[in-house]
Amino acid sequence: MNRTGGNLYHNSTAQWLAYIALFGLLAIIPVVGAEPFQLRTFAGYAVFAMLAVSVSMVWGFGGILSLGQGIPYGLAAYCMGATMQMQFQTPDEPIPSFMLTNELEELPGVWKPFWHTHIGLILALGVPTLIMTVFGILMFQARLAGAFVAIMTLAMLNAFYSMAQDLQPFTAGFNGISPPNAFKAFGVEVDPYSPMMYWLALGVLAVVTFASKYMLQSKFGTIVQASRDDAERVRFLGYSVAYYQVVVFVFGGLIASLAGIVWVMIQQYVSPTALETPFSIYMVVWAAVGGRHSLFGAIVAAIVLNYLQTELADISETWQKAWLLILGGIFVAVVLLLPRGLAGAFEYLIGWIPFGGRSAKPAARPEAG
Amino acid sequence: MGIILELKDLTKAYDTYAVVDHLNLQVNEGELRCLIGPNGAGKTTTMDLITGRQKTTGGQVIFDGRNITGLKEHMIVRRGIGRKFQVPAVFKDLTVRENLEVAFNRNPDPFANMLMMFRRTDKARFDEIVDLIGLGERLGERAGYLSHGETQWLEIGMVLTQNPRLLLMDEPTAGMTEQETHKTSQIFNRLRGSHTLVVVEHDMTFVREIADVISVLHMGKLLAQGTMAEVENDPKVREVYLGAEGISDAT
Ligand SMILES: Nc1ncnc2c1ncn2[C@@H]1O[C@H](COP(=O)(O)OP(=O)(O)OP(=O)(O)O)[C@@H](O)[C@H]1O
Ligand SMILES: [Mg+2]
Repeated sequence: MNRTGGNLYHNSTAQWLAYIALFGLLAIIPVVGAEPFQLRTFAGYAVFAMLAVSVSMVWGFGGILSLGQGIPYGLAAYCMGATMQMQFQTPDEPIPSFMLTNELEELPGVWKPFWHTHIGLILALGVPTLIMTVFGILMFQARLAGAFVAIMTLAMLNAFYSMAQDLQPFTAGFNGISPPNAFKAFGVEVDPYSPMMYWLALGVLAVVTFASKYMLQSKFGTIVQASRDDAERVRFLGYSVAYYQVVVFVFGGLIASLAGIVWVMIQQYVSPTALETPFSIYMVVWAAVGGRHSLFGAIVAAIVLNYLQTELADISETWQKAWLLILGGIFVAVVLLLPRGLAGAFEYLIGWIPFGGRSAKPAARPEAG
Repeated sequence: MGIILELKDLTKAYDTYAVVDHLNLQVNEGELRCLIGPNGAGKTTTMDLITGRQKTTGGQVIFDGRNITGLKEHMIVRRGIGRKFQVPAVFKDLTVRENLEVAFNRNPDPFANMLMMFRRTDKARFDEIVDLIGLGERLGERAGYLSHGETQWLEIGMVLTQNPRLLLMDEPTAGMTEQETHKTSQIFNRLRGSHTLVVVEHDMTFVREIADVISVLHMGKLLAQGTMAEVENDPKVREVYLGAEGISDAT
C-alpha cells in the first residue's frame, strides 16, 4: 500500500461528495423530526465539531500541538456573552445585575462597546485574533515547537482561566454570565431550541470546514504541511516558517472563536469552564480519534463521541462518571492501534477497492498506469 | 568572471575552540568547487555559517558583493543561495511532485499562496529538472518511500527548482551505490557552467570526476587549494589528511 494514487479516498470528487453527503444528512435532522431540546444538543455538537476542525488544522496539518484552543474559544464566548447581556440592558438599567452585587456603580469601560451588537461581534472575533497573533509571533519567532508549544499554550490558557475567575466584577467569576434573552440581530431573535439555531450552527461548521479544505488544497496548505514534516527544509526554500505557522495558528483560533460565539448563542451562558484545561484537551482527543490528518474524521469523531457521552449520561450517573475512563480508553486505543485515527483506518480499507480515477491532489495522480 | 562568494576571516568558536578559524575563501561565478577535509574539519559548519544556520563568531560572508552575515536563513535563500543538507531532507509525507512544487518559490507570502490553487511550476523548468534527476516515473510517490539515492536526487532537484545562483551541496553522494554516485556525477557535470556549485565530498573518485578547483580544509583553516593533481601532491595535505598513503585511497 505504498501508492497514494489509485485510492478512492484521495479522489477529490469523492471527497467533496462525502462532505456534501455528511452536511446534507446533518441538515435534514430538524426536518425528519427532533425534539427542540435534542436540536439544541445537536447544535452543540456542531460547535464541538468546529473545535475539532480547529485542532485538526493547527495540529494535524500545521504540526503545532496547541492545548490552548480554549483561549480563542473562551474569549470569543465571553465577548458574545457580554454582547447578549447588553442587549438585555437598557439606558435606564445599564448595569448587569451581577455587577450590582459586586458593588459596581457604573458600567465598566471595557463593557461599554458591547452596547452595540455589531461592535460586540467584531470584538468577539477581533480580540482572540489579536491575542493569538501576538502569542503566535512570540512563540514561532522563537522557534518553539513540540512539547514547548503545548506547555506554553496550556500555561496561557490557565492564565485566562484565572482571570475569568478572579475578575469577578467584570466576568461574574465562577458563576458566569447568563444573558436572559436569546441573541437578536437584524430584528430576528435566534431561539436556541429552533431549527434556525441548529442550521445556523451547522452552516458555520460547513463554512469553516470548506474554508479549511480549500486552504489545505492551496499551495499555502502544502507549505504548511511541509513545515510540519521538516521546518528547516522549508526555511531553506526561502519561506518564513514562523509566518506560516502564525497564519495557521490564527486561522485555527478564528475557527475556535466562531465556535465560542455560536456556543453562547445556543447556551445563553458563559463561564470559566470554557477556559478549563480538560476541555481544550478533549478537543485534541476528538481530532486524534477522528484522525488528525482528516477534517472529515475530526468532525465525525467530535459528533459521535459527544453523542455517546450525552447518551451514557442519560442512562445513569455511574455511566456519566465512567465516561472519562471510556474516552481515555478510546484515545489510548487509537493512539496505539490507529495512529492516523479512524480516518486513517478508513483510508486503508477503502484502498482495497479497485479504483483507477484521478486523485485529490494533482500531485498524487498515479503516474504509471 | 566575477567572484560570487567570498569568506573573510570567517570564524566559529565554541568557547575558545575554533571549529572554523579565520577562514578566507573565494568562489568564482560558474565554478564547481569541491571542499574536502577530514571528519570534523569544519565543512558543514562553514556551510551553516554561509547560510545563516549558525551564528558567526567573527568575519564576514560576502555574496554577490553584499555582506549577508547575520541575515535569517530564508532571507539568505532569497538572495540566491540553495543548500542541500548532509542528512537528506525532503518532505516524507508529500509526494515527489509536491516536494518540487513547494520548492518552486515564486512568492513566499502565505496569503498569496492561499490563492494558488493550481500549484503550477514553471513547466519547462520542472520537466528539465525531473529529467535531470531522473524521477519522472516516481512523481506520484510519497517521498518517504524513495530509496536513499532517490531521496538525495529529489533534494538536489528541490534545490535546483529554486534556481539559486549558488548551490551548496553537503555530501550529495553519501550512502550511494557506485552506480548512483556515477549518475550523480553526471548530474553535476550537466550543471557545470550554468550554475555555481560548492560541493563537500569525501568520495575522491567522485571529486576527481567533477572538480575544477579543490579546497582542502583542516581544523577550520584552508590548508591547500588547487587542481586535483596539485592538491594530491601537496605534502601538507598528504600528511594531515591521509597519512602517507595518498589522497586517492581516502574514501
Ligand atoms: N555544538 C557544538 N559544540 C562544540 N563543538 C561542535 C558543535 N557542533 C560541532 N562541533 C564540532 O565542530 C567540528 C566541525 O564539525 P563539522 O560538522 O563542521 O565537520 P565536517 O567537516 O562537516 O565533518 P564531517 O566530514 O564529519 O561531516 C567538529 O569537530 C565538531 O565536533
Ligand atoms: Mg559535515
